[in-house]
This record gives sequence, structure tokens and C-alpha cells, in this order.
Amino acid sequence: MTRNPLVSDAFVDLLMFDALDVSALTAFDHFREHDRGTFELWVQSCRRLAREKLFAAYRPMDSAPPALSDGRVRTHPVMNELWPALAETGVINATRPYDVGGQQLPFTVATIASFYLLAANGAAYSFAGLTTGAGHLIEAFGDETVRGLFLEPLYNGTFNGTMALTEPHAGSSLADLTSTATPRGDGTYSIKGSKIFISGGDQSFARNTVHMVLARLDGAPSGTRGVSLFAVPRERPTNDGAWEHNDVHVAGVIHKIGWRGIPSLALSFGDEGDCRGWLVGPSNHGLKCMFQMMNEARLLVGASAAATATVAFYESLAYARERTQGRRLGDTDPTSKPVALTEHADVRRMLLEQKCVAEGSLALVARCAKFSDTAQHHPDGDERERAQMLLDLLTPIAKSFPAERGFQSNALAVQIHGGYGYSSEYLVESWLRDQKLNSIHEGTTQIQALDLLGRKVIARGGRALATLCEEVERDLATALSKGVDPSLVASVREALARWSALTQALAAKGLAGDVHGMMGHSTDYLDATGSLVLGWLWLWLAGATRAREGHFYDGVRAAARFWVTREVPRVHALAAVIERDDQAFLGLDERAL
Amino acid sequence: MKILVPLKRTADPDNANKIKIAPGGAKVVTDGLEPKPNPFDEYAVESALRLTENGTNPKARLAGDSVVVATFGAKEASQTLRQALAMGADSGLLFEASDENLDGDLVARALAKVVEREKPDLVVMGKQAVDGDSNQVGQILAERLGWPSATFAMSIELSQDKKSVIVGREVDGGVIKLKLALPAVITVDLRIVAPKSITNHVTPQTHNYQEGARYAPLPMIMAAKKKPLAEAPFASLGVEGVKTSYVKFEAPPARKAGIKVKDVPELVQRLRAEAKAL
Repeated sequence: MTRNPLVSDAFVDLLMFDALDVSALTAFDHFREHDRGTFELWVQSCRRLAREKLFAAYRPMDSAPPALSDGRVRTHPVMNELWPALAETGVINATRPYDVGGQQLPFTVATIASFYLLAANGAAYSFAGLTTGAGHLIEAFGDETVRGLFLEPLYNGTFNGTMALTEPHAGSSLADLTSTATPRGDGTYSIKGSKIFISGGDQSFARNTVHMVLARLDGAPSGTRGVSLFAVPRERPTNDGAWEHNDVHVAGVIHKIGWRGIPSLALSFGDEGDCRGWLVGPSNHGLKCMFQMMNEARLLVGASAAATATVAFYESLAYARERTQGRRLGDTDPTSKPVALTEHADVRRMLLEQKCVAEGSLALVARCAKFSDTAQHHPDGDERERAQMLLDLLTPIAKSFPAERGFQSNALAVQIHGGYGYSSEYLVESWLRDQKLNSIHEGTTQIQALDLLGRKVIARGGRALATLCEEVERDLATALSKGVDPSLVASVREALARWSALTQALAAKGLAGDVHGMMGHSTDYLDATGSLVLGWLWLWLAGATRAREGHFYDGVRAAARFWVTREVPRVHALAAVIERDDQAFLGLDERAL
Repeated sequence: MKILVPLKRTADPDNANKIKIAPGGAKVVTDGLEPKPNPFDEYAVESALRLTENGTNPKARLAGDSVVVATFGAKEASQTLRQALAMGADSGLLFEASDENLDGDLVARALAKVVEREKPDLVVMGKQAVDGDSNQVGQILAERLGWPSATFAMSIELSQDKKSVIVGREVDGGVIKLKLALPAVITVDLRIVAPKSITNHVTPQTHNYQEGARYAPLPMIMAAKKKPLAEAPFASLGVEGVKTSYVKFEAPPARKAGIKVKDVPELVQRLRAEAKAL
């Protein structure tokens, strides 16, 4: 079978240079040292690292998950090679400023390059992604002491980093955290508490691990306003420059169905009363600080979900092209040659659906990444604000759409493999297992739905909604001018109008105090929004092909047509469901479930 | 020590099955295929870097050492040179030419001119380009320069005094080792990028390189922008005229389906009577 490309190079080229025009980012002062050449070379380095090293290690890491022995977690030995390769290539600190050792690479380019790494081996890459996030928190909010202790070793890969929010009794509900921090009088804090599901919480390839821990200071207000952020290393520095045990213990390893290359741990801090943490950012503002990392992590999850769907799509595509089975409809001659799976109508449907979800999700996440670069580095304040609003609004969709629809897409990849797909002899089953986590971690789909409808879409008195509509309309007009079928554009316009009216009606219910009326169907609302947003983005991509000829461009335009004609109509159907506001589940006595 | 590494861009070798033959068989059409560095040339860059560095600190060349990369090709081929600079080479030379007006002999003559100007102690290059697969340039270049050469290298050991190399060559049935006085031409084969294939008596014997050509790290990609990359017309080298003319290109015949035989005697009989293999 042909080698799995992980991600299509031609698609990445179209996305980067024709659709997103990443070269334009070099006009921002922050990116002035870059040019198209540096972007291409970076993507090339990551692509090769992914194809030659990370992908080869994927199955071995999936088959032999990390194990706990003598209180420490042993990660797969291949990580001893992959981690230095990731760190030395510059994956951890690529986007960070020059003064902390980074190269100020646009987040957009870093994200697109990461698609390859995530598709190859999401677990291996996640150690790096989490370390970037932890380092970025310390870089942004840490004082001189904390930065001096942890920043360089995190960014150069001597240490790895984690985010430690969830406690056994409080996952989505961060207001109920109970871990505590007590000032020791020397500028550090005594940390005590239990955390769970801490990805990368211990390992055997880097010198130390730094946990970014949410805990409550003594006497802090209850709820999220009393939460502070601390850097808590597994080993802490001594006065003479050595490192010693910091009373952080691995209480258990979670046995997971996917993402088996990276350990998910139960950790306990301060069992012996001797765990020290360093405050990061102002006290009681921990959650606000943490949201920087969480928003990055949500896009990382979206990228991971998109990449996981993409690699499975290519696997099933190659299989369907080579595997012969049955004959064309109407061919009753039993002696005729069997045809390839791709000759069968519904196999094509399953393949095109995967293509739409997978590559559409890559485009969604990459588009968000460009809003992030624009929001931070555009010289014009209004443009920065506009991009931030769009990024905020699209983040819950970029986090959840690739995960939810990606799971269905990964199931189609198994389906195309038939009975073999259900066996562990083929890779597609493992991506299905991996994908499920993406609708759970970093805020479940349900949390994203509440965030989208209850917060993001109504932000700034409706300005966020209006700005999104304006952005979509701008792209649709461009698509039309570049030769995209007007009937497809009209379909997305109608769906946008319907969705916009629905949003306003729900917001009005909320304003009138009917919270359940507004929020009761928020997940359906998220679902509808995802279908609409993908319709917009596929027409944007179809426009970017500029009517060029060839199988690749034909494929992009076919995907756009497929999505707009098959999926965008769901916006109307879901809107009808939401508007009807049937009380089948909301009005039910839970004992009747 | 100064090493010259010639590079060629080729149509994406991973998608070689997508090339087409122009109507009438006039030429091979590679439209739509991304140009990529010839893999054997990437291995040559990797070899040159390993010869001129301490592998435990590969960020800089050893004092007095340098690696120059050169290519003949379209202006866009400068990106191939930049990739080599980002891997660690020190400077690049682009001589603008159209691939259609070059053949192995002309490339070798042009390289001889580059060698005259640059005066390297060693030329390290791929054993062949994966598009034409001619496997000529290294040999013709060595002949024109009057330098010793070793082709199909799978190992290179540089002597302590840097005046000679011992090259392990892939040959039928094994590896033959040749000692060459410098200056010399070496063409490299696949195994040259194995973890311990290069010895320079500076990199510790215990050091294991990652298999394959190295990835350009981001700091080096940025640093490469500031490295010298000179561009000049191919004509400035003062050589011209191709000796090769192509009569016609044809796709290889499609493979015929195999047959099933019922037992070993039938297999032997058919191998004898039909295939005439026995």
C-alpha cells in the first residue's frame, strides 16, 4: 500500500499560500525576519520529522503504554529519541520571542506544521505542545524568579511541562477546586492537594517536570475568583544549584483507550507537607492566567482532532483504492474482475465525507491561528480587536467540531476497512480510540456549547455575531468573484441568515431571563454552527483554487459542493429543532430516564 | 578543510508515479510535482556536515572547515540551497540554468569550473539524481579534474592529518575500502547516513547520529537567511554544449499478470520451457 502522507502537501500549500496568504504576515513588525522561505523550510522540517520518526513510533507507543514502577512513570524508550529531536528542531519554542530563545514564527505556520506531527503521533507531540503552553504561562505571567528557574529548561526541552487543573471531584467545574497553597514566608508556597488526568505528568526522557497547578490561597474567596496559579516542579532547586525531591507523587496511571503514548496520571502534591510552588501571576487571578494556556490548548485539541481524522482518511483512501471487492452495480457477470472499493457509490460518499471533515477542520484551526496572529501583532488596533473577537467566537467550534465530526469520520475509516478495520492488525482502530478524547479534554463538547452560545456569540452586545457574519459574507463575495458556483454561495448565505436570526432569538430569550429556553439546546446549536462554518470555509477554499485544473483542485471543489449540498441543509433542520424547544429531555423527571 | 557539495532539484521522488510522457515521447512532464532536493544530494550535505563538525555540538563547523553548496538550475532552486544552509552549510552558489539545457557531461564540466574557483579539498555528491538516474557526473568530474574518486560510498573516514580519506564503497557482494589522497571526489549511497558511517576523529566514537539527513532546526533556518548565497548566470562558467540528445521517451510496458501453477513440477517445467530461466 502507498505510504500514508499523514497530511496532503498540496492541501497544506493551498491552505498556507492561496487561502490564508501567510506570506502577508511578514508585513507585521513581529514577523519581519521571516519570509515564505522560512515558512516552507519549517513545514518541511516538521513534515520529515513526522514522516520519518514520529509516525514510525506511533504503533509501538500505542501498544506499550507508560507504566508505573517504584513511584516513577517509564515512558516508551523511543521517546528518548523523539524528545530531543522535537526540542532540537525547535518545535517547543518556535513561536516564542527571540529574547526567550524562540524564533517568533507565526502561530499560523507553527500550527500548520504541527498538523503533520499530530497526525504522525499525537501523544509524542503533545508532550511538546503542553511544554510550550506551560512555558508560555511562565513567560507571560511569571516574575523574574520563576522565569529564571523554569523558562529556559522548559523551552529547550530539559524539562517538560503540564497543566494541572482537574481534581478527582472537579473537572469541568473549576470553581470547586480544593487544592491549597500556604505562604512559607520565603516567597514560595506549600502546595497540598490531588490532581487527576494530568497528561505528561511524569516521564523518563526529560530531567524534570513542571506542573502548572491551580490551587487556593488560605482565605481566598470561594469559586473561580479564589483560584491562583503555581509552578510546581517534581524536583525543586536547592540553594547550591542542585535539584531535590519536591514531594510530588504519582498516585496512579490511568489506563486509557487511546492517546496511550502519553501517560495520564493521578498526582498528589504535599503528602509529606513538603511540596513547594511558585506563584505565577497575581494571586486569585489564576484562572484568568490559565485561560491563556487553555485557549491555546483548545486549538491544539482541534488541531489534534483534525490531524487524527486526516491521517485515517488517507489510510482508508489508500485501502479503498487497492482493495477490490464486488462488481459495479448492474454487472452480473461473476467471471468479471472485482473492482476497487472506490468504484462503489457509498464508499465514495464515505471518503468524501471524511475529506470534508478532515481537511475542513485543518482549515478551521489554521484560520483561527491566523486570527490569533492578527489579534496579537497587527499594527492596527481595530484589526487586532476584530480578529480577537473572531478567534474567541470560533475557538469553541474549532475545539469541538473536529473532535465530534472527526470521531464519525474516524469511524468511517474503520467502516471502509470492513472486518479488517475492526481488527488491531490495521491502524484505523487506534485513531478512532484516540479521537474520542478530543471531545472530552480541555473542556468537553458540552462546555464548548455553553461557552459558544452563553458567552461568545452574544459577546459585546451582538458585535461578535455581526463581525462573524461580515467575515463570512466577505469570503463568500470573494469566492463568487473567483468562479465558485453561485448556487452554493446562495445556500451558505441562506443558512447564515437562518443561523443569525436563530442566534438573536435565543439571545432575546436569555435577556428575558429564560435561561433554559436559551441554553437547553446549546449542543444542537454548536452542531449547526459547525456545519455552517465548514460550509463557509469550504467555499473559501474552493475560491482559493482559482479554477485551476487537475485532480487535486477538482477534489477541493468537489468537497465544497458535497459539504454545502449535504451538510449545510442541517443548519435549517437543527434550527427548527431548537426553535421548537421541545421539552422531551428538559421537562422530564430524571427518574423517568 | 573545504568541501563542495553539488545539489540538484528533482521532481518529488515520492510521487514519481505521477510523471507523464509528453505526446510523441518528446520529454518527461513533471507538471504539478513539487520540486525537492535529490535525496542522495541531501545525504551528501549530511556527510559533508558530519565530516566538518563535532557531532555532539553540530551548530558550527570546526575551525578552518567549511561546506559550500552549489546548484545549476532555475532561480527557485535557491530554496534548495537555503535548505542546505539551514542544515548547516556555510555558503551557496546558484548558477541559473534551465534543466533542459544540461546533461551529465556539461554539468561535470561546469562543476570542474566551480572547483577551479572554490578550490575545495573534497567534493561530496550524490551517486546519482533520482530523476535521470544517469550516474555519471561524479565520475566525469573526477576524470576532468584528474582527482581520485570513490563512488557509492557507505562510509568515510577522514585521516587525522586531513590529507586522505578511507571510503567504504558498496559493491556486489559487500564493501570495498579505498584510500584516497585529497583532493578527491566522493559520491555517496544510501547507507552513508547511518548513525556511525562518518569518522572525522573529532566527533566521539560513541556518538550516534540520527539516521538520515538532519532536519533543519528553526534557529538554523533563520540563520540561513544571513548566509552568503551568490547567484550568477550559468554562462559565466564559460562552458556550453550538451552531448546527449534524447530520441524518444516511452513509459515502461505495463506488468503482465502472473499465473498460478498447480505444483512444483509444473513450475519447473514452465520455468524451463516458457521462461527459459533454468
